[in-house]
Amino acid sequence: MLATGSVLLHETDPVALHDTDPVPLHKPLSEPKRRFEQWVLPHFDAAYNLARWLTRNDHDAQDVVQEAVLRAYRFFDGLRGEAKPWLLSIVRNTFLTWLQINRPADTVGFDDGLIELIPTDEDGPEIQAARNLDRKMLNEAIAALPVQFREVLILRELEDLSYKDIARIADVPIGTVMSRLARARRLLAESLGPTANISGTQVHK
Amino acid sequence: MTREEANRLLHAYIDGELDPAKSLELEAHLAENPSVRAACERLREMSTAIRDKADYHAAPAWLEARVRAAIPAGRKDASARPTRWKWLKPAGSFAMAADWLRPAASLAAVALVTWVVALGTMRPGEDERMTQEVLASHVRATLSNRSYDVASSDQHAVKPWLSARLAFSPPVADLSASDFDLVGGRLDYIGAQPVAVLVYKRRQHLIDVFVWPVEEQKAGKTLTRDGFNIEHFAKNGMGFWLVSDLNRGELEDLARLLAERSAAP
Repeated sequence: MLATGSVLLHETDPVALHDTDPVPLHKPLSEPKRRFEQWVLPHFDAAYNLARWLTRNDHDAQDVVQEAVLRAYRFFDGLRGEAKPWLLSIVRNTFLTWLQINRPADTVGFDDGLIELIPTDEDGPEIQAARNLDRKMLNEAIAALPVQFREVLILRELEDLSYKDIARIADVPIGTVMSRLARARRLLAESLGPTANISGTQVHK
Repeated sequence: MTREEANRLLHAYIDGELDPAKSLELEAHLAENPSVRAACERLREMSTAIRDKADYHAAPAWLEARVRAAIPAGRKDASARPTRWKWLKPAGSFAMAADWLRPAASLAAVALVTWVVALGTMRPGEDERMTQEVLASHVRATLSNRSYDVASSDQHAVKPWLSARLAFSPPVADLSASDFDLVGGRLDYIGAQPVAVLVYKRRQHLIDVFVWPVEEQKAGKTLTRDGFNIEHFAKNGMGFWLVSDLNRGELEDLARLLAERSAAP
């Protein structure tokens, strides 16, 4: 309890504490690696999952994750709030850097452009429910989504993050997260064809 | 609500992200429009299918080992601290601008430490401490008019919303047949852990049901504090605390119903 208090004091006013409290009650703050491992590395799988879905192959995902985690360690002091969205935002930024160097032609995908203006389709014929989807087809369809839709879908459905966290990671307003997610689900439904007709965004009467 | 708006809001709705007022409005719309309801169901199915069937790429163990090894053990700047204390500090520019507040903040921190130490030496019984915490949470939520983070009368919306944000999945029962209407859920922090709060309503009384995993079983017990009635029991691995200004008898009824329905399906 005392240790807790002293961290708090130190946090609030390090200079004054130094003058008035020469006895460090807390453990020395010299174990950044241990703290980092404790706070950030529990999200290593999430980092890899995101990198893997962004790069779409194991080898590149490994490179991106390794670089991202080392970057995260350097910026560990900048961590505010929850570690998971913070780490994933670093993974995403590392991926963007990687993309610019390795696949410069693909970076246009992150430009929102006309996305929000694409008209929605009419309700197609209703056939099979999404629950009967083939696993392989589903994975391929997600992998084929444009990257800005793929990332919000993965963050929402596989990482179960809130819109707020996704907005922070993808560095866009929450409204954009919503429209990208809607678009992602619609594109997915379309590419999966009649086996999974969803029409959450259809507007016709 | 127009059909167009309803369709637009479906995504936020199935994701548990729609604000309370809009959720109720949308649910009313869904009740009247079978086609929008069907669209909602298909969206849910799509979401479930992705969660169940899309590959989750866990990192290979050797990669984590390699990355751990690559992290340098020491750094010049060794000031990394766990972040859970950060919220105690005035945020960003405010902290910069208000230097004069710093001595005050230090004093406040000293007072807090003293208080915490004092609390530690007093050590009220575990149950009494929990009673006070859940009561404080209930009063706070009522005063600030923020009783729920997710508003829905649908237990299939509230449960996943809570499960997504907690390390456990609280049982959420539909008790509308017994005149206890589910109105929503929120998260709170009780006994040094995040817990689920289910909010039920009977007439004009809001009832907070705090739920978190416990190991022991406990028979029901009723308490009264500051004009509020409090019910506590533990069953099937979950501890329940009910807090409300509802009368004792009815609160006991709710506790009994929840106990009956608490078994995992």
